[in-house]
Amino acid sequence: MTILDARNISKRYGGLAALTDVDMTVSAGEFVAIIGPNGAGKSTLLNVFTGLVVPDSGAVLLAGNDVTRHATNRRIKAGLGRTFQHGRTFPRLTVLENVMVGAAICPTLGERALRESALQIIEQMGLADIADNAIRTLSYGHRRMVELARAVACNPKVLLLDEPAAGLNSAEVAQLVKRLAHLREKHQLAVVLIEHNMGMVMRLAERIVVLNFGSKIAEGAPAEIQANPAVLSAYLGEGYAHARV
Amino acid sequence: MRILRSFGLALCILAAGGVLSLVLPEYHLRLLNLSVVASIAVIGLNIAFGYVGLISLGHAAFVGLGAYIMAISTTRLGLSPWLAMPAAVAATAAFAVAIGLPLLRLKGHYLALATLGLNVSFVIVASNWLEMTGGTNGIAQIPSFSILHHAISDERSFLWLALVSLTLVVVVATLLHHSRYGRALISVRDDELAAEMTGIDTTRLKIMGFAFSAAYAAFAGCLFASHVRFISPEDFSYAHSINYLAMLIVGGEGTIVGAILGSVLLTFLPEWLRFLGNAYLALFGLLVFLVLVFLPTGIVGLRKFVRGPSRVDRSVQAAAEVRP
Ligand SMILES: Nc1ncnc2c1ncn2[C@@H]1O[C@H](COP(=O)(O)OP(=O)(O)O)[C@@H](O)[C@H]1O
Ligand SMILES: [Mg+2]
Repeated sequence: MTILDARNISKRYGGLAALTDVDMTVSAGEFVAIIGPNGAGKSTLLNVFTGLVVPDSGAVLLAGNDVTRHATNRRIKAGLGRTFQHGRTFPRLTVLENVMVGAAICPTLGERALRESALQIIEQMGLADIADNAIRTLSYGHRRMVELARAVACNPKVLLLDEPAAGLNSAEVAQLVKRLAHLREKHQLAVVLIEHNMGMVMRLAERIVVLNFGSKIAEGAPAEIQANPAVLSAYLGEGYAHARV
Repeated sequence: MRILRSFGLALCILAAGGVLSLVLPEYHLRLLNLSVVASIAVIGLNIAFGYVGLISLGHAAFVGLGAYIMAISTTRLGLSPWLAMPAAVAATAAFAVAIGLPLLRLKGHYLALATLGLNVSFVIVASNWLEMTGGTNGIAQIPSFSILHHAISDERSFLWLALVSLTLVVVVATLLHHSRYGRALISVRDDELAAEMTGIDTTRLKIMGFAFSAAYAAFAGCLFASHVRFISPEDFSYAHSINYLAMLIVGGEGTIVGAILGSVLLTFLPEWLRFLGNAYLALFGLLVFLVLVFLPTGIVGLRKFVRGPSRVDRSVQAAAEVRP
């Protein structure tokens, strides 16, 4: 069943075509990765999904409903969740409070239930030790985990992650991969992952979408993408097909 | 825990006020009353500015609107102050929603300027709508509140009314702060996009915060009107709005204790320094400047010199870091 369906999305910034006629669908529970060089339009596509950018043409359907003109908060309530490329948390709130802001998407939860459900997610994300800490005292890796926990607390059907591994050390990346796999299993959510770390993409993604200069140049299973000559020359580099990850 | 601590604060306010009401001379009681009323307005401003980050230079207009509705409905319509007050608070909040819809599309400096304009317009209307407001002559003989035929008209009994009101306001503000709405308000100032990304309707929330802040202001306005029993447009000029903002920043924005400390300090300071005449303004400017430079979290920030930084202090410092 298709949950997220973007059709013919185009977006120009002045003379620059950030996205040209991009189609993309995500099915329930599916793990899709978006790869491509810097400036390819990956973040812009997430912005179109989440309503931060209104496309010049095209439509975004969420669970079959056209949400192209809907405000961001409505789309989140309808099942989208997102983290940002540079990590965005609420610095004046603690870790627990950050996640509680996410959990508050459920209007019927009382203060105690909110706390409980936030604590559960914090536990899953391995943040229990620092639940009461101020964001200011956290490492960058922890902040990004808090942001992810907050997005998960919003109970999304599709989780959109913009380069979640950027700036993390290799131990943190390994942990992130583990957590993402676990989250999917536990919450049955679909994930759209923008990532340059190809090891991570190959381990997690069931399908890969490749963007270049705002256009989709390839789409398919990881093995197909790895062998696709257009992708190799645009992004992965000629030597990639032989270097196993 | 923190909620309990704030209830403790409320009790402290009552106890301290009780003692002061016995020992202070009349003149100081009057100042204390003015500062308690100002505290209520500034706690309201803290919701708009300290939590949501809406830079309002028009807070005095809401104080004035509340005061005028109270004054007009008690003197003209003969309404009891107990009925006039909730009506004034509700009407002012409704006005804030109506004006907030277009106004809160603006951000930062533009919003500051627009709210300043609102304040100036308010004073112009209050000065010129003679039939309604009495113009610059103001409205006199506003009735005091009374309980069981005892009029709360002398400074000592008014202090009790003011302190009970302040306690109530502190409790409500604390409950708000630690509720889902409080966290949502704070998150909007910290990062509006990220807040929207958790399903918060940030536009609606800003209007709600603005209206709540205006309701506090109107409440303070009603108390002010029944305290001084005479109001005129210059009681609510934009200079007062700037003063409220200074009280909040000097005391410590984002915190309820800071709002109270700042209000008390900046009400008494000009009186203590009255001998300076106009030079006071220069000193006042210097004081605000020094606080901004050396105590960016306001005088509540002094706490960290007394004890080691507590968890609350750290979050207050974090607040200072994100100050635009
Ligand atoms: N708000 C904007 N204004 C102007 N240009 C933009 C804006 N957002 C993105 N762009 C441009 O659109 C292109 C795609 O950007 P982006 O989606 O961030 O790329 P990616 O995430 O793939 O690195 C880039 O050339 C970028 O400079
Ligand atoms: Mg990007």
